[in-house]
Amino acid sequence: MPKTHSLIVIFGLFVLWEFLFHALNLKWYLLPPPSMIFASIQSDFVSLISSLWVTIKVTLIALMASVVISLCLAIIFYFSKFIERSMMPITVVLQVTPIIAIAPLVSIWVDSSQMATLICAFLVAFFPLLTNTIAGLKSTERNHLDLMKLYRANKYQLLRYVVLPNALPYFLSGLRISTGLALIGAIVGEFVIGPISGHSGLAYRIIEAGYQLEIPKMFASVVLISLTGIILFNIIRLISYLILRDWHSSYSNTE
Amino acid sequence: MSLRVLSDIDRQSKLAEGQSRLIAVLDGVYKQFAGSNQNALENINLEVFQKDFLSIVGPSGCGKTSLLKMMCGLIKPTAGKISWPTSNFQNSPENPANLSYVFQEPNLLPWMNVYENIKLPLKIVKEDTYSADEKIYEIINLVGLKGFEGYYPKQLSGGMSMRVSIARALVTQPKVLLMDEPFSALDETRRFELSQEILKIKKEKNLTVVYVTHSIYESVYLSDRIYVMQSHPGKVFEEFDFSGIDKNEDYRFTPEFFEQAKVVSDSLQRAQYA
Repeated sequence: MPKTHSLIVIFGLFVLWEFLFHALNLKWYLLPPPSMIFASIQSDFVSLISSLWVTIKVTLIALMASVVISLCLAIIFYFSKFIERSMMPITVVLQVTPIIAIAPLVSIWVDSSQMATLICAFLVAFFPLLTNTIAGLKSTERNHLDLMKLYRANKYQLLRYVVLPNALPYFLSGLRISTGLALIGAIVGEFVIGPISGHSGLAYRIIEAGYQLEIPKMFASVVLISLTGIILFNIIRLISYLILRDWHSSYSNTE
Repeated sequence: MSLRVLSDIDRQSKLAEGQSRLIAVLDGVYKQFAGSNQNALENINLEVFQKDFLSIVGPSGCGKTSLLKMMCGLIKPTAGKISWPTSNFQNSPENPANLSYVFQEPNLLPWMNVYENIKLPLKIVKEDTYSADEKIYEIINLVGLKGFEGYYPKQLSGGMSMRVSIARALVTQPKVLLMDEPFSALDETRRFELSQEILKIKKEKNLTVVYVTHSIYESVYLSDRIYVMQSHPGKVFEEFDFSGIDKNEDYRFTPEFFEQAKVVSDSLQRAQYA
């Protein structure tokens, strides 16, 4: 089981870190040992978790918005070459411009800081989903299309029985990338835009702790963010597995 | 009468006499693909009669598949006419349920299991979904897929996948079955087994079959009539009539069979240098 292996490795690294901290007599305000980080998580549990919740909420809403919008756009692009050709450059511009450069603008244009952070997270998460889904829709086999043409399937039937299921694996791998990116977008957005009216997310906790030189709390926030990322990533992986295991060749169950 | 090469005069008389059984007529059909300056198919004249087993034999690249795809409307002829005399269809010949096409590969949808794959045409044509279940299970039994309903295509062997593909083609209860080298990827034994079954199903369902192949033996064994094609451009070279031969299982080992295979083989040879 490679999964338990990597858990053991991570645990081992923590032990090594703890050991080196004491052995080399490092300064806790430069590199706090794991025990201190976890103690900090424990003591600031309520405020950290409520901040984490704010960040997760932004991430998930942004992710859902990018799923819906990218699916709709991908389907429109699939049926209309003209719209695709005229819209695609705009989405590319949005993708290649660093979010950190757009975020201040967004924060000027949008009053609500929650909305502004959401838009940042959405802008980052949206593009891989769109391009992957379009690639999936377009990769439909000629023969499958011919089969549908043979029975004079309408556009809805074509989508439902052939084109969308064909795009599903592509969509899911896009979703896996976008989930991580949405989280990054939510954090970066908050860094630039500032706390979400009263309820700050984890990004602002990091800035705050930095100002107050509460280094263990900074680390605690980082640990929580990466844990969240790992969990989200694995949830998407599980969903992909459950959806695709029956039929997709990447999940072999015949041998 | 065992075997006969048809001349143009024969063809006229055959057309006149078979008028009432005529199911499809291709009249001077041409096909030129975009970006090519040569005809892929040139002046194709052929007719399909009810309950025919008609084979189209020719070397690879002679346009057999294009011909078949034109017959079912997947591609349009550049010139000429393909007509389906209405009188021999119960409903409009335009109804896609009347015509089924078996692809060279099984062409199953990997995200649907066997049952769903077979049901798909019914769902699209939306024809009589009330008794759909009964129909589907009848077909599943007919092609020997009982017990495999829940399997996904990736779990099936090549022969099994082909059976599903045939079942899917049969589920709309078509009058005409167009088959494009359906067994070319199978081994000899499976091939024979499945062609036996096609003959059985054809008889049971009163099907008309148009069968494209490059195998001489297969075509001689299965067909009532054979069109031999030449390539560059694709044209009908010769037409043979085998009707009236009793084709039991042992027929393929008789000297008569080999004699006929030789005639068709010679014709193919001559077609190459025509």
